Amino acid sequence: MNLTRTQREQRTQRERTVPGLTLLLSFVSFVTFVSSVPAARNGVIRGRVEVRRVMPQVERRPGVTDLGAPPSRDVDDRMRSVVYLESAPRRAFEVDEGGRAVMDQRNETFVPHLLAIMTGTTVDFPNSDKFYHNVFSLSKPARFDLGRYSAGHSRSIRFDRPGIVRVFCDIHSHMSAFILVFSHPYFAVTDSQGRYHIDNVPPGNYGVIAWNEGNASEAKAVVVPDGGAAELDFALR
Amino acid sequence: MSVRVVTLRLASMLVLVASAAAVHAQGLPSEPIALAGGRVTVGGDVSATVGSPDPGFFNYTDYEHSALRLVRIDVAAAAKAGPHFSLLGEVRSENLDTLEAYALYGRIRPWTGRDFDIQVGRIPPTFGAFGRRAYANDNPLIGYPLAYQYITSLRPDALPASADELLQKRSLGWLVRYSVGAPGVDRGVPLVSAFRWDTGVQVHAGAGIFSAAAAVTAGTVSNPRFSDDNSGRQFAGRLEARPVPGLIAGASFARGRFVSDAAVRSALGDGAPNEEFTQTAWGADAEYSHGYYLVRFESILSAWRVPTIRTPTIDEPLRALSTSLEGRYKIVPGLYAAARVEHLGFSDLVGSTSTLPWDAPVTRVEVGTGYSIQRNLLLKFSYQHNTRDGGVLQRVENLGAGQLVFWF
Repeated sequence: MNLTRTQREQRTQRERTVPGLTLLLSFVSFVTFVSSVPAARNGVIRGRVEVRRVMPQVERRPGVTDLGAPPSRDVDDRMRSVVYLESAPRRAFEVDEGGRAVMDQRNETFVPHLLAIMTGTTVDFPNSDKFYHNVFSLSKPARFDLGRYSAGHSRSIRFDRPGIVRVFCDIHSHMSAFILVFSHPYFAVTDSQGRYHIDNVPPGNYGVIAWNEGNASEAKAVVVPDGGAAELDFALR
Repeated sequence: MSVRVVTLRLASMLVLVASAAAVHAQGLPSEPIALAGGRVTVGGDVSATVGSPDPGFFNYTDYEHSALRLVRIDVAAAAKAGPHFSLLGEVRSENLDTLEAYALYGRIRPWTGRDFDIQVGRIPPTFGAFGRRAYANDNPLIGYPLAYQYITSLRPDALPASADELLQKRSLGWLVRYSVGAPGVDRGVPLVSAFRWDTGVQVHAGAGIFSAAAAVTAGTVSNPRFSDDNSGRQFAGRLEARPVPGLIAGASFARGRFVSDAAVRSALGDGAPNEEFTQTAWGADAEYSHGYYLVRFESILSAWRVPTIRTPTIDEPLRALSTSLEGRYKIVPGLYAAARVEHLGFSDLVGSTSTLPWDAPVTRVEVGTGYSIQRNLLLKFSYQHNTRDGGVLQRVENLGAGQLVFWF
């Protein structure tokens, strides 16, 4: 039988009221009881996100003033989505990884186009092109401007506030990317097939949201079983 | 300025702000509109500028339009018809007047693997640097560089009979009348026009750190034309180098017949040759940027040859030299400060009673700031100190202006 923390505290309180040997015996039996309760095992939420709407590429502004045609560039992978827990288990907020991530600037494209990180993460923005880039964002969670820098150089910014950060290049207006900053670790970016899996989720009831290019789904309820997996698919229009 | 015009401008600004707010509310990115699977793209640049009265006509681009009191709407489109051909165009309206086809040309890329293009039609300027970025969101300040905006007293269709008549018109280029050629009043020309594009054929090629462009067009850099008025062609060329990241250095040249056939006939009679009445321009420009600052320099020397029919005659070319230094520094994300210092000088002309620069020299210092309300909505403020050394108009003017720019 699982006891809630409140129940355990109430029981402990009652046991404090009995004196002497009774107290000792009760304590020993309580410890034995608690140690016999198996620890809850984390589970997995997995599934697939289907993006059903047409996702046109961000085109260059018409280069009417250019003396010639612009060079070719890569295209963004705009079909990837982020799936995340609407509200996370309490202990999730005790995690402070402070890790690093990379968003490259390559052939006039941010790579990856979509990055999901935890608060405290520092993101490096290397410039892998032969010309200048100028990464900036005017989003509320992170307002920054890294200035102009050339190939082979990198600048970084630490993201301390959760939210959606739109990233642009001040020189190449067709370059854009998203960084989603979470205050908990329960999120995942879909792969090229739209599949995702959020690992190490404590068992319980959750609301799960899928997000793609500024569009978020309604929260879907899911029950993560003890040590098991919950399947959840999304269709974004 | 009439009440109607002011009302229209205020209404435009409100529409602009409301549109931008709507865009912001919907979270829409500032992206061009893509149609036909990305083969057609449409972009726009809308600016509304409100500024001080300018009785000295320092910022006028003609008698009716001041660069400091202007609502400008640009809509540009590019249509790709395969890897070798694109059609590009732009329409523009100033102060909600009629729409004008600012650009309309075809771009041919014969070899997709080579940086080589041929552009035919109403083409972008070959000469200089500013002409290709004369959009409100490319200009860190509100005023335009003098070389591209300040109207001199020279006209291609009307001519002073003598040096004395030209000297009498110093500082009156915004609305000038001469005794030879077209009889009415009209504006003069700037050194290089940023407000009209020329018509012709342009070839561009790039290799390594160098790129070059050459064009043959109907007008001249100061008087771009859709249809020719003197059966003479202008040749323009530009060489650009990018030796290190952030540095762009360019040199430009242009030469073409300036005076219209009708004006030459009025001055010299039927059958008089027109070949020698040209505008020749040389330009040098450089841009360097790194981190949070950007510096631009541009100098343009222009020489016009015009016929005269009475003494004292104008025998030497009428020269004008413009020098401009501009800087921008980003203070914090979304906020920058900018400044431009420039001078426009003119060569001396010998008249009956005095020797003076043929137009009144102008110096301008402009400082300003820009704040990005959102990525594609920019609010700018600037302050100008203008001085003119001579002429009949006000010689010193301090002007303030605010501008709201929305682009997609």
